[in-house]
Order: sequence, then C-alpha cells, then structure tokens
Amino acid sequence: MRRKIIELKGITKAYDGETVLDHINLDIYDNEFVTLLGPSGCGKTTTLRIIAGFEQPDEGDVLFLGEDIASLPPYRRNVNTVFQRYALFPHLNVFENIAFPLRVKKVPGAEIEQKVTEMLRLVALPGFEKRSVTSLSGGQQQRVAIARALVSQPKVLLLDEPLAALDAKLRKDMQAELHKIQRASGITFIFVTHDQEEALSMSDTVVVMAEGLIQQIGTPTDIYNEPQNAFVADFIGESNIVSGVMLEDRKVKFHGQVFECVDEGFGKNEPVDVVVRPEDVDIVPEDRGQLRGVVTSVTFLGVHYEIIVDVQGFKWMIQTTDFCAVDSHIGLSIEPDAIQIMHKSKYSGMFGDYSSFSNEFDELSDAEEEE
Amino acid sequence: MKLSSKIFTALILVFLFAPIVILLVFSFNASKSLSVMSGGSLYWYRELFRDAETLGAVRNTLVLAVSAALISTVMGTAASVGIHRLRSKAVRLGYEQVTNIPMINPDIITGISLMLMFVFVGRLFGAATSLNFWTMLIAHITFGVPYVILQVLPKLQQMDESLAEAAMDLGCTPLQAFFKVEIPEIMPGIVTGMIMAFTLSLDDFVISYFTSGNGFETLPIRIYNMTKKTVTPKMYALSTIIFFTILALLIMSNLIDTSAPGVARPMRRERTAEQKKRLRLAGGIGGVLAAGMIALMIIGAPDHPVLNVYNWGEYISDGSEDCFNTIRGFEQWYRENYGSEVEVNYTTFASNEDMYAKIASGAVSYDVIIPSDYMIARMRDEGMLLPLNFDNIPNYENIGESFRGLYYDPENQYTVPYTYSFVGVIWDAERVDEADTGDWDLMWNEKYKGDILQFNNSRDAFATAQYKLGLDVNDPDPENWSRALEELKTQQPLVKSYVMDEIYNMMESGEAAVASYYAGDYFTMLDAQAAGVDLRFYVPERTNYFIDAMCIPSCCQQKELAEAFINYMLEEEPAVANAEYIMYGCPNRVVYESEEYAEDMGEEAMEILYPNLDDFAEKYNRFAYRNLDPETLSLVNTLWEELKIN
Repeated sequence: MRRKIIELKGITKAYDGETVLDHINLDIYDNEFVTLLGPSGCGKTTTLRIIAGFEQPDEGDVLFLGEDIASLPPYRRNVNTVFQRYALFPHLNVFENIAFPLRVKKVPGAEIEQKVTEMLRLVALPGFEKRSVTSLSGGQQQRVAIARALVSQPKVLLLDEPLAALDAKLRKDMQAELHKIQRASGITFIFVTHDQEEALSMSDTVVVMAEGLIQQIGTPTDIYNEPQNAFVADFIGESNIVSGVMLEDRKVKFHGQVFECVDEGFGKNEPVDVVVRPEDVDIVPEDRGQLRGVVTSVTFLGVHYEIIVDVQGFKWMIQTTDFCAVDSHIGLSIEPDAIQIMHKSKYSGMFGDYSSFSNEFDELSDAEEEE
Repeated sequence: MKLSSKIFTALILVFLFAPIVILLVFSFNASKSLSVMSGGSLYWYRELFRDAETLGAVRNTLVLAVSAALISTVMGTAASVGIHRLRSKAVRLGYEQVTNIPMINPDIITGISLMLMFVFVGRLFGAATSLNFWTMLIAHITFGVPYVILQVLPKLQQMDESLAEAAMDLGCTPLQAFFKVEIPEIMPGIVTGMIMAFTLSLDDFVISYFTSGNGFETLPIRIYNMTKKTVTPKMYALSTIIFFTILALLIMSNLIDTSAPGVARPMRRERTAEQKKRLRLAGGIGGVLAAGMIALMIIGAPDHPVLNVYNWGEYISDGSEDCFNTIRGFEQWYRENYGSEVEVNYTTFASNEDMYAKIASGAVSYDVIIPSDYMIARMRDEGMLLPLNFDNIPNYENIGESFRGLYYDPENQYTVPYTYSFVGVIWDAERVDEADTGDWDLMWNEKYKGDILQFNNSRDAFATAQYKLGLDVNDPDPENWSRALEELKTQQPLVKSYVMDEIYNMMESGEAAVASYYAGDYFTMLDAQAAGVDLRFYVPERTNYFIDAMCIPSCCQQKELAEAFINYMLEEEPAVANAEYIMYGCPNRVVYESEEYAEDMGEEAMEILYPNLDDFAEKYNRFAYRNLDPETLSLVNTLWEELKIN
C-alpha cells in the first residue's frame, strides 16, 4: 500500500488580502515524482514554500507522515529544497557546498567525505570537489544544488522551477537526469514548473493549479487525454475547445453536427465543452468531412504543418503531415475516441479558439510566464 | 594626437603625485631646510621614533582608528542588515537617505554639533569635563557607520535572497545562516567598509578637533598645532610612512574586493584560494591589532595623577634632536622630590584663540596653559585664571625684575613668564647697504624695491607703519589707523610679497633682501641660509614685544601639581633646554646668566635676544600690542582688505 508522506488539508494563504491559495487539499505519496504545474501566480511556489516551512499557511494543516508540522521551522523539517537559481554558497567550493548540511549537523569528517563523494557520483560530477561553484556551468551548478539537497537524505525534495534558467537542450538532458536521480534515490520529488512538457515527461503525478485552486490531479496521460475543464485542456498541450450539447450518452452535438463519442454519464441535453486535440483531426475532401472549413493559415514546423481552419467562424487548429494551401476548402473528420467531453466551468469560452492565435504571440506569453 | 594625450596623462600624474614625491624626498633630507637638499639621511626618521609625544599621538590615533573602525563595522553591518530586511520600500529608502546625511554633512557641522551634544549631556550629568577619549570615539563611530553601510548594503542587495533560505533549509538556524552564509557573502563589503572607516578616522581633523578632550591628542591635531614654528621634517618622515601604510591598505582592500555584482552572469569572478588566504590574513592582522590596542588602552590607564599641560606646538624641549626632554624630566624630578608618580599629558594648540575657545567651551580641563600676554589679560578679566600660590613656586625669584608687574598682570598674581620676543628687521648684508639699516625706514627704502617682504597679517603689518610714524599701536582712534594705511599704501609698490611662513624660504634662499619678523625665527633662517646670503638682524627703537607666560586656568583640577610643574620649568636644566629649543628670549635669570647657554647660543644671538634689559618693562608697556576692542578690530580688517585689494 502506498504511504502518504505529505498531506495538505484545507491550506489557505493570502498576501495583503489577495488569496494565493484557496483551501488546497493534496496528498503526496512516498517515492513519487509529483509536479505542481500552472501559470505564474497560480500558487504552486507558495505551496512548495509552505511545505518547506518558509511560509506559514493562514488556515489548514500540513501533515508530514501524519504529524502536524505547521509550527516546525525549515531547519527542523526533513524536507530539502533546490532553489530556482540554485542558491549555492559562492564562498564555498563544490565539496563544501555539498558537505554544508552535514557540517551543520556535525557529522564526522570521514563520513562527510564518503557521502559527498557518493553524491557527486549520483549527480555525475565526480572529481569536481575542489572546483569553485562560480566557475561551473548552469547545468553543473544545478547538479551540485541537487546533491547538496539530497546529501542529508531528506524524505522529500522540493524543486522550485530548477530548470527555468537552463537553455532548451540542457533542459531536456536535466529532465532525464532528474528522473533518473529520483528513481535511484527513492526520495519523493515535488517539482514546480510552468512548463507542461516538462511536467508530462517526468512526473508520476501532475497537479494542475490555477488561481490558487487545484484544477486536476492525475497521471500525465490522464491529464492530457481527459482534461477536466477548459483551463486544463488549454494549458496542457494545444486544444480546440468548442461549446456543445450532450444529447445522450456517447452523442454530442457541436457546430450543428452530431458526433459519436465515448463519454457517458452527462445529463440529457447538458451544455458541455468539447475538446479535440489538433493531432486528432483528420483532413478529408470537403464533401466527406463531418465539418467543413476554409484554411486561413499554414505554418510548417518540421514534423508537421500547423494549419488554422475557419469552421463557421470558429478557428480550429489542426496538426497534419498533409499540406493544404491557404484558402482551400477542406473537410474535417473526428474519431469518437478523439472527443473529450467536459462539464462547463468558469473557464468555458476563455480558451480553445485560435482566432487570435499566432506562434509569436504564444512565445511571448510563454516568456512572460517565465518572469 | 597620441603623443599629446600621453603628455597630458603624464602631466596629470605629475600634478597628482609631485607633492608626495617632494614630501618623500625631503623626508630623507639631512638638513632642516626646505630649499636645500643636503644629502640623503634617515636622520628625521630616527628623530621621529625618538619623539615620545608624537609617537603617543600616533598611538592615540591608531587606538582611536582601530576601535572606531571595528565598532563602526559591527554597527554598520547590523544596520545594513536591518535596513535590508525592511519590508516597506519607502521606509527602507528613507533609512538609506538618513544614513547618507552624515557623509554629505560638512565635517565642521558634524564636529560642532557633536561637541555641543557632549558638552550638553556632560553638564546634564554634572561632569567637570565632558570631552575625552570616549567622546572622540563616539564621534568617529558616528561618521564611520554611514561609510560601512554604504559598502555593506549594496553587497546585501546583490546577494541572492534565497541563500539564507537555502542555509536554513539545510539545517541552519537563522543565526547560523547569517554567520555561515550571509556574512561570508558580504565580507568584501564589510572589509572595505572597515578599511574606509579606519582611514577616515585616521586622518580626520575637523571633527576630532571639536570633540577631543584634554590629554588625548591625535596626530592630525598635533601636526596642525605645530604651526607656531614651522613643521619639522620629522613630520615629512611620518607623513611618508602614513602614505605608504594607507597605500598598502588600499591595495589590500582592492585585492579583497574581487566579487563583482552577480548580475545573471553565468561565471562570476572566482575568489582564488590565494585571495581567501589574504582575506583571512587581513582579518587576522586586524583582529590582533585591535585586541592589542584595546589591551594597551586598558593597561595604559594610569592610576597616578595626570597633569594636563596645554602649550603651543613645538614650544617645549621635547627630547628631539638629542635635546633634553622637559616633560619626562619633570616626571622624574617630581618622583625624586615628592616621592610619588605623576604623568604629564602634554597637548598643543595652534593659536591663542583656539586655546581660548577650547577652554571657554567648558568641556575640557587643563592644569597649566601658556598663552600670550594679550590673551592672558582677557582671560584674567573674564575670571578664567587662578591666582598662583608663589610659596609653591620658589624659583619665581629667578625671573628678571624687568619681567614683573607688566600690564597683563600688574600685581604678579597670575603668571610666570615663559618666553619673550620682539619684532626686528632682517636684512641681507650682501645686498643691503649697512648705512640704510637701523630703523623702520629700510622697509620703505626705494633702493630695495621688489626685495622687501611685509607681514601678511593686519596687526603686524599696520604696526610696522605705526612704529615708523611714531603712532600708538593700541590707539583705537580711526585717524591713527588710516594714517598707517596710507603709509602701507606708499610701501606697497616696493613690496615683493606679503608673507607669513613663506618668509623662511624667501629669506634663506636670497629671493628677498629685507623683511621684518620675530627674533627667534631669525635664528632659524640664519641656520639655513644659502651660500651667497648673509642675513643680519636689528631691532628698531620702537617695536612689538610679546611675552608668553605660564598660568593656571580656573578649570584646573590639581593646582599644587600645576604649581610644581611651573616651578620645575624655572629650574636651570629644563629652562636652559627650553630656551635653546625655542630660541626666543628667556626671562629667567638662571638662563640668561648661564655661561653654557651663552656659549651654545653664540655671541650674535645673545646680543640680539638680551640687549640691555633694564628698560624692557618700559618699552614693553609702551609698545606691546594690547587687546583691541571689537570695533577697532573690524576697522583694521576693513582697512587691511582695502590695502590687499589694490
């Protein structure tokens, strides 16, 4: 049976009257790689800092192995943090940085030596003992920070957007590396990021957060394939989200057409949000399509084209390997299992229409989130 | 273009460093002269290290600077941390600005306000003297702290906020995190701040001047007070040593301060093991020095009475250049005659007015002072002097009859004369016809146009004209002064320049041929005259005489001890030594009747300094300057300005 290592119960936190966390409930299990995913300001970092002990919740309990730790200061919690900008101590070399928590605990010298060496091997930096931390590359500093946080064998490692400062290539390598380290150490990792790709590729469990609330908890595949509301659907990957009506089990109507689907249990004629991933739409000759539209833009992205199709004034995004010219009339066909039905939420109508979409705009908003 | 820019750079460097080079060269001069370099020697360095008073001032300066630097550093660092952690930006900026004010504030205002505060608080608690080492220390800390904050605060702001959190996360308590992580991170700022506080304290004059008490004299104050005579070349030696010490500190602080602002740069400059070693070394030296200084201070506090003597700079035989050390001599004499220990705390002033201000502030206490006649008259009138008990000063009988009952102390109650001198005319026999000499007319003689030097000080300059015209130098009648002004205007086209201390060089080198100045100073010039210059001296019938006398101010704490000191100063050995050192006239019979003294001084000096003394009192009372009333003083200043503007 999986053991609950951390339980957050009804955590609420506000700064200057502005609610950052709104009654969060979250269970984290032993030896799990959990990612808190959400845009900036969603409360994910605050959650992490509450677990670390840097912040006190206004309301709610933090349980560690069933015990309330709300009043414990950070230095008495068996939880360590890897900071966004590593927070290595510039006046100490690599060895001393990693040895720092052991020295504070007055561990004997020989044991320190052995543990630090072991850690350096784990993070693939053997022989770096005497190097100054300021002379290391970003990726190397990252590894030292992880080694330093792991050396005193905490039960939980908290990682606050640790890859944000790395370039794309290094980021990919470190993602794999982190995953490997987590498996090797058997320690629970709680990883905070706003990068959905990072979250999907590394995690056992993804916690999607927005506006101080948990939107969805699940495995990466669950989150991707069965988003529970328009926010999650949009935040995780690309999604076309249209308003529809559930006619009956496994029958949904949108754009004036009735589609077969696999979802059940909605009320009769219940208004719903319908999600279709761009790669799940097939392009067919106009007369054979369930929907018909006009291509308004085509972007070549290497593996596939990304085309925007105007269907009755709603812009769909489709990822396809077939080329379609701009202004050509095409038909769209969607398989029943490609359709995900969601209950209406406060996010309905806010996402999923690509009318104003451009790649440039998307990158800009990504950049803003990284700030 | 390139050449011209090189020349320009070279010129800038010359301007910047020429004074230091000159100082350095002359500190190795074998003779006293500023114009003649007579071979390299370490003479002045040896003299410096024999000068206990100056070394004492150096010690005081160092004790003060090290203590002030250490305390400022601790306080400034703590303040920086406090300011840095303030949540409200407005409050934080406010504090930063407030801490900047003492740096922008003129020293003089800081000095005066601190003095006022100390005196006020001292009075509040009924302390007899409120200025002492501790007030000076507080003053130096006051101006040191802002500089430490200036260095430390930016380091805190550059520091990654999460460093402290990381330390706590890894098991440190907040206090451990501060000492193990934050302090090492801001250490370069702390060290730089400490060095700045140290050097600022080391050379501060203005603030120290206002806040120093009796008996605690720092080096800058001591050097300033040497202006009664010229600054001795010992000070060049000392300045050279200080310059190189500060230079070494500066280089050290630059080596330590290697950490550049850590702005999102992947590779911050690395602090090498070597630099760390230096850092530790610097810290170690600082610590040892500080501990030593403080220990010295605590151990050095005497348990026997301390006599505070306040005199002109370089106005006592102090053991330099193999002369007798009068101060140590008194301590020994006292031990032998009274069987108990006494320590003399000897400090100096630069002018009567400085001395008066210091004593009038009521914040200090001196036991013996040696002011000039007119100031004695004023202090006596204002009740600032105590009548002497002459039973304790039996040697007073050695004072010549001519020097008793003078206007400043007609009843012989308050004073024992120390030195006297008078103004005469110095002339170069190589260029001036002896027939033209003898009275003040030489200073107005057309033949020597462009070779004449006149005093650059209103009272002395006007007096030359008044004596020439047979006017009374103390007559407040404006007519008297405007007639003198007319005479000075007639003289003006003949005058090469109006000088004070520059006279030494100009006369010694033969640049000028006629000047009027004080008798004692003439001997200094004579000693240093260049080849082809033959300086002579005569005293016109009517001229200025002055006397400096020993008195006991009303703030005196141990009158009998002070009287013992005055009595000792009249003994043959110290009196002769002082007379030979100062080279002014001495009113003490055991001196001017001493054969050894006459031999040492030489015939010419004896003739000049000790003409027929029978009519000294009469001449003195007729011709010596008296205190002028404020209206007359302001008139004299106005007329003087009028002359100088032409």
